[in-house]
Amino acid sequence: MSRCVAVLCLALLYASPVSARVLEITVVSDATEARSEVARQESSQSFAGIAVKVSRPVDRAVALALHESATLLDTLGITTQLGTLSLDPVTAIAPQLNAAPKGSLLVLDLPLSLMERVATEADRLGRATVNVRHSDAYLRDALCLPTLFHTIPSDRMYFDALGQFLVFRGWRKILVVRGPSDQDAARAETLTASLRKFGATVEAVREFSLSHHPDDRDKNTPEFLTGGLSYDAVAVIDSDGDYGRYVQYSTRRPRPVVGDVGLKASGWHYALERYGAPQLNERYRAFADYPRLHGRAAMTDVEFAAWAAVKLIANSVGTLAADVPLDVLSILSDPASQVDLYKGTRGSIRQWNNQLRQPILLGSADAVIAVAPMPKFLHPTHYVDTLGIDQPESTCQLR
Amino acid sequence: MICVDLPVCRAIAFVVIILACAVPSEALPDTVVISNERSGNLHFMDRSGATTDVVALCGRPRGMAQGASGQTLFIACSDDHKVIEFDVGRREIVREIPDVPGAMSLALHASSGRLIVSNEGHSSAMVLDTSTGGVLATLATGLEPDGVALSDDGARIFIASENANLVHVYDGESYQPIHRLVTGLRPRRLALRGDELWVSSEMGSRVEIFDLNTYQKDGEVVFAPRGFRVEQLTPVDILFDAQQETAFVALGSANHVVFVNAESREIRKYILVGRRPWGLALTPDGEHLFVLNGLSDDVTIIDVARERPIRTSRTGLVPHAVEILE
Repeated sequence: MSRCVAVLCLALLYASPVSARVLEITVVSDATEARSEVARQESSQSFAGIAVKVSRPVDRAVALALHESATLLDTLGITTQLGTLSLDPVTAIAPQLNAAPKGSLLVLDLPLSLMERVATEADRLGRATVNVRHSDAYLRDALCLPTLFHTIPSDRMYFDALGQFLVFRGWRKILVVRGPSDQDAARAETLTASLRKFGATVEAVREFSLSHHPDDRDKNTPEFLTGGLSYDAVAVIDSDGDYGRYVQYSTRRPRPVVGDVGLKASGWHYALERYGAPQLNERYRAFADYPRLHGRAAMTDVEFAAWAAVKLIANSVGTLAADVPLDVLSILSDPASQVDLYKGTRGSIRQWNNQLRQPILLGSADAVIAVAPMPKFLHPTHYVDTLGIDQPESTCQLR
Repeated sequence: MICVDLPVCRAIAFVVIILACAVPSEALPDTVVISNERSGNLHFMDRSGATTDVVALCGRPRGMAQGASGQTLFIACSDDHKVIEFDVGRREIVREIPDVPGAMSLALHASSGRLIVSNEGHSSAMVLDTSTGGVLATLATGLEPDGVALSDDGARIFIASENANLVHVYDGESYQPIHRLVTGLRPRRLALRGDELWVSSEMGSRVEIFDLNTYQKDGEVVFAPRGFRVEQLTPVDILFDAQQETAFVALGSANHVVFVNAESREIRKYILVGRRPWGLALTPDGEHLFVLNGLSDDVTIIDVARERPIRTSRTGLVPHAVEILE
């Protein structure tokens, strides 16, 4: 009899955590941020209302990732819960974070300064957060928070991909043209470091001006801006996506334009035709509960990063024992966790700075020209770790 | 034959070679058929790899399965959402089974005439009656179903779902779900060996082996060809020889095909082929392995006994599957 009771207790012991396993995701947004929730269209617009950058909330991508994972999670006895948290940036963050379920993954769809505050606060509370929006290098380096993960590529990963591509093509002499903002200056430095890493040379770094005043013609006329020296390609840094659009087809020498215009490095692209990508793109466009999107619509890099964060967890729970509680922080921290990214090479978390390692796409407006790492750029351990700050160079050494 | 004395050995070998050259080998009319997804056609080859015919077919032909007669092939026309039966000798379509959405991979149960088709993009697999063309059952799967398999006795049906990291197991008579096997990332193709189910995990870089009595994972085969990092190993097709002693696995982005001792599960040989090999087929005599290279649009023919490539021949655009008929 006592043995029967013991067996029963054991059964209950094993059964209860299985039934209680819930994967909770909370999308955190800024209540004051003007983003087009209704139209779900481009929200960053230049003069005269012409859309130059696409910025959409990530909820569609997160919901898609949960939808894709439903059959597997159901098989494993895991239920999911998707919530949202709209933060008021002027009041204290910590009490607001407590409104989100305690074990939930916080997907931070926030402007940079607020994201940094929230991530720092969440780290203090021991809560897992994902940066899906900001590629800034310092978040992975100087900030270096143990519970903050980055599924969006870093600028260094984007530019390393571009640098490999240029060197692989034999275009080694690069003219860098950059915008006037602090962000442009910082990104131009990152680009320069990437180009040098792979043996390209920066012939000059020139700053453009949006002003049409004749005194500025050396800075505002592309022919002058790109004249007077020899180069194989022009790399444009224009974080606002404004002036840079006019550099293509206007350079003094007939050379390709890369960077923020022309050939761009990206985490995702609508025209990737291998690795199952067309199926993912179609699933995103036709996803129920959301408006049908047109044939060229695809996840932005930010949406793809949000999708990848949820998929990383869903793809990694299958190997967990059924009696182990579902802890998103330990799953994200586990070097064995991995995700099928539909880019030909699986992704996993770099243990030193919590960055998702992944291939980077090099695409024009209507085609994926190459998928980095480029051939012959080899890393001793991880195929994609020639992209981004590698462990020996990183000032962040988390694990 | 045991040969001890070296000159004698050489003499014997010489005579054997002369005999082999002098006696014309029996003409083997094997017909190699390759489906090319992007060019929408079939390539016909002889066993030496010489193209004998190219036939325009349908929208995105992919999976193929040999008909019970050995004279026809069932072919999935993915973009046309149909399955066709193609007479290889007459080079013509003899029938069409319409309304098979996203038809991808096929498996035929010869004795019952049932054809299993995965419906990519529709999260299901269909069981078709090849005598009538009717649908016997539609089985729910995870997202992006690909590889399908049927046990020899027809009692169990297996379907791999690439996105869901699952293999669904269905009862082959009642079509009721029996089990779901949790696999590594992106399970692609399935191969049965007795009570073992071998599953290629393309993004998990391994082949997983499940015991079909217990539905527990029984082991796995991991790969390490020279010059490749683990993430580049993306296995797709798995094929056993007739004796089920050797497993051949196409390693995708690692540009190799691997010979595995099926019993001990140890790697025997890596062979460099074209770019992103995935489809595999053996000649009926088991002597030659045909390896389709999806990114270099060609096929590498391997001498199985000598474990060496013999020839690489051009195919159509994006070759997907290969079948070899006697």
